[in-house]
Amino acid sequence: MKKRAMQEATFLILTALAGGSQHGYGIITDVEQISDRHVRLRAGTLYTALERLRADGLIEVDREEIVESRLRRYYRLTATGHERLAAEAARRQAHALVAISRLEAVGALR
Amino acid sequence: MIDAADLERRYRRLLKCYPAAFRREHEQEILSVLMAGTEEGQRWPRLAEAADLLRSALYMRLQTRFRTSWAWECRHRRVMVPVRVISGIWLVALTAILYGWGVGGWWGLLLVPAAAGHFYSAYRSLRHRVQG
Repeated sequence: MKKRAMQEATFLILTALAGGSQHGYGIITDVEQISDRHVRLRAGTLYTALERLRADGLIEVDREEIVESRLRRYYRLTATGHERLAAEAARRQAHALVAISRLEAVGALR
Repeated sequence: MIDAADLERRYRRLLKCYPAAFRREHEQEILSVLMAGTEEGQRWPRLAEAADLLRSALYMRLQTRFRTSWAWECRHRRVMVPVRVISGIWLVALTAILYGWGVGGWWGLLLVPAAAGHFYSAYRSLRHRVQG
């Protein structure tokens, strides 16, 4: 099966989980920080993505906690998740490096 | 405190749009995410937030439906592939006949994509292994 390029939101969610397990709201605030406040995931988008990632075996439930009578479910990357994120990060880095070197070549990079 | 209870009730109502299976597992969890993202004294879900929930719920419903019918077709591909291929050929033949007689008109817009859909379904059933 051909692998499509990963969406920005998916990439950021996986990146948030790469540092260790997190719960839903933790992912949202972490993604906000990683993206320098450019991406604020909404709950619907987040859970659509989490469902798909779980079905694809990239993430799994780590544990559950009740904090102030609210359920928190923590997610973590699976081995496949680590692999896919590494591949995607490498792909993005390679593209960015080409862009930077070309911009440098024409003196458009400050 | 009253405000928070109002808001939670409204969020719960929005979450009712999700498929039941998803709600059983995730309602409490999403609710805590939603409530964590609210401001002091907020009584109504923000419009963008509500729209996002509705969109995600609709997406999940469509996906659930699509996935089940898709899995069914894959399981029965021994029957369904010939059915799809014959239907596709028949639709192509029908299109040719209609246009050959000069009475095709706008029907091609309906018939050609339908035929393509049948062929594509057959192709997908053949290519993919049954999952789960």
